[in-house]
Amino acid sequence: MSDLLRILENEVQIAALVFLAVVYTTRLIWLFRFRTRKERTIAAGRASAGAGYSLMNVAMPWAMESTRKRPGLYAQFVFFHLGVATAITATFIIPYAPGLFKVRAVVFLFQIVIAAAFLVGLLRLVRRLTNPVLRQISSPDDYFSLILLVLWFAAGMLAVPNEPERTEWPLILFFGLTAFFLVYVPFSKICHYLYYPFTRFYLGRSLGHRGAFPPAGTKRPEARRAGENQA
Amino acid sequence: MKRRKTTPSGVVEAPLDPRTQVRAKEEGLPSVNEGRLRTYEPGDNVRRFLGLLSSRITRSLAVSLTACVHCGLCAESCHYFLARPDDPTMTPVWKADQIRKIFKRHVDWTGRVAPWWVKAGGPRDDEDLNRLKNIVFGSCSACRRCTYNCPMGVDTGLLVRFTRGLLTELGIVPEGVFNVSRDQWETGNQMAVTETDYLETLEWMRDEVRTELGTDAIDIPVDRQGADILYTINPREIKFDPRSIAHAAKIFHTAGESWTLPNWGWDQTNFGLFSGDDKLGAYVARNVYEAAERLRTKRIVISECGHGYRSTRWEGYTWAGYDQKLPTESVVVTLKRYLEDGRIAVDRTRNTEPVTFHDSCNIARSGDLVEEPRDVLRRVCTDFREMFPNRRENFCCTGGGGLLSMAEYRPLRLEVAKIKADQLRATGAELVCTMCHNCVDGLNDVIKHYKLPMRVVQVLELVSNALVVPGTNERTKHRL
Repeated sequence: MSDLLRILENEVQIAALVFLAVVYTTRLIWLFRFRTRKERTIAAGRASAGAGYSLMNVAMPWAMESTRKRPGLYAQFVFFHLGVATAITATFIIPYAPGLFKVRAVVFLFQIVIAAAFLVGLLRLVRRLTNPVLRQISSPDDYFSLILLVLWFAAGMLAVPNEPERTEWPLILFFGLTAFFLVYVPFSKICHYLYYPFTRFYLGRSLGHRGAFPPAGTKRPEARRAGENQA
Repeated sequence: MKRRKTTPSGVVEAPLDPRTQVRAKEEGLPSVNEGRLRTYEPGDNVRRFLGLLSSRITRSLAVSLTACVHCGLCAESCHYFLARPDDPTMTPVWKADQIRKIFKRHVDWTGRVAPWWVKAGGPRDDEDLNRLKNIVFGSCSACRRCTYNCPMGVDTGLLVRFTRGLLTELGIVPEGVFNVSRDQWETGNQMAVTETDYLETLEWMRDEVRTELGTDAIDIPVDRQGADILYTINPREIKFDPRSIAHAAKIFHTAGESWTLPNWGWDQTNFGLFSGDDKLGAYVARNVYEAAERLRTKRIVISECGHGYRSTRWEGYTWAGYDQKLPTESVVVTLKRYLEDGRIAVDRTRNTEPVTFHDSCNIARSGDLVEEPRDVLRRVCTDFREMFPNRRENFCCTGGGGLLSMAEYRPLRLEVAKIKADQLRATGAELVCTMCHNCVDGLNDVIKHYKLPMRVVQVLELVSNALVVPGTNERTKHRL
């Protein structure tokens, strides 16, 4: 293994991760400087149940009409994000547990998952380029982030066999892109996962307090009208 | 979404017309003089807008402004886009992006450094602010259907109301919004009903019910101390539909209820919800809460009104900084309790026409009363049928968000009402029942425009119609 690849897999990744953590921490401090409003009404439901339901929404495609009516898009979402998680895992396995990728079945599994995400990425790109609605709302960051991810998936597929003795360039490309990602992500739309828990929590807490989340039938009836009948 | 051609934006280009505002200033209205009701002043509105934007953002708003990934899944949850599928500017995400890009440019990180990269920018002048007005007031009813369909949990309805509030503070509002806000600030109710009109209408309805039931024992009390229930109403009931007060009086009398209307603080509607003006919201809501305290009632009951329910039951306490002390409920919940407790008896064979139920956005999505009205309707009607989609997924009557008061957006509103018309037509019902006075007017517009063979009723009317009044042989067939 060349010094370039060794440094890229280790020191550069760690430095990029530290940078990411610092920016995210700053970002969260920024976010927490915005005030919240005190809830002054008597609850009709449980805010915690609403928040929990809202946060689990991601795993309940039947819960929203938008995903219920478009199972294909939901499946794309699942494959895409599984691919992201798998590729991130690979960036740790390669430098710190390389033995795992000596097992061909593991390599194959990783390649399949990342390949699926790669294909979904291409589909998403085509959709964003051809759909007038998406074209109208898309910013350069939307396109760049997506293209970058598609490239990263492609590099990931080639890198997971982890055979630097044969050829290093897929690994250099993969880890180079990973480092760039770690630095770029906090400033791009990709950091939406940082906000996801907050948006869903605040929405769920508010609607849970009012008894709208979880929907009727999934909560205790006596909790529902508490604010109206038992002040 | 299928591949489509784009067409010109459907956003209405209504100019700002401040003539009513000028007149209000000239007349020296207290609300204007005291700075509660803001009027348009040419000048540095952009700077003021940006100042308000920065100072008013809450954390839940901030995350809604930052979290959108532009997936476009919200598009098909919006009746505006469904009715104009070739127009991207009708999607919730595009509308929300018009405030989001300002936030990104002036508050967020990336947009301040590289605005073009994230499409951040604006507003440059009052024209831009007026364009924003036409988007948030004219092409969104703030029904929150998109909120429920956003995988990220972005609350576009909340963003729209927030933006409306900023513009209201600058007087950059549709004339109708200004006028209704003025009336509510000046008279305590949004239709400028005078005390005389109010009291005389109540007396008139009391006499009607007395005649119908053949007894003088029935009353519509005002300012009765220590009553169990403070009943609050929509000014539309006084102005255009006093029968609903008579229905309530008849039912309360039959149930042996101890109730009263207040002389002041009777308007449970709240235009602050629509204009985004929390100060107005607080003022109107506080009037109701203080009336309940003044009269030492044990419960606040809200007549059938969607935004009134949401404002009085939920938002008003926060706006007014007033901790809820009394149970606050919709009259439909009261009716359900009467039926369950046997306090009133009904004969459902008196309502035999096929009836469907329209869920008000503010009640179903922002308040969660979805089963209660259905429970009541199944007890008082023989042929209740659902429309689809329903409950939290129901479509807006298209008159929500205060749109009924904004004449300049009416053609677009009626165009996108096609979705509601199709939904209504598919039920085959002759009656569409709703527990919202605003929806009554919105649905009546839809029915008239699309020539649907149905009429709008409310829950109180159907219960009153089915009510069996002890001691009278007469089947109290609806006569009011």
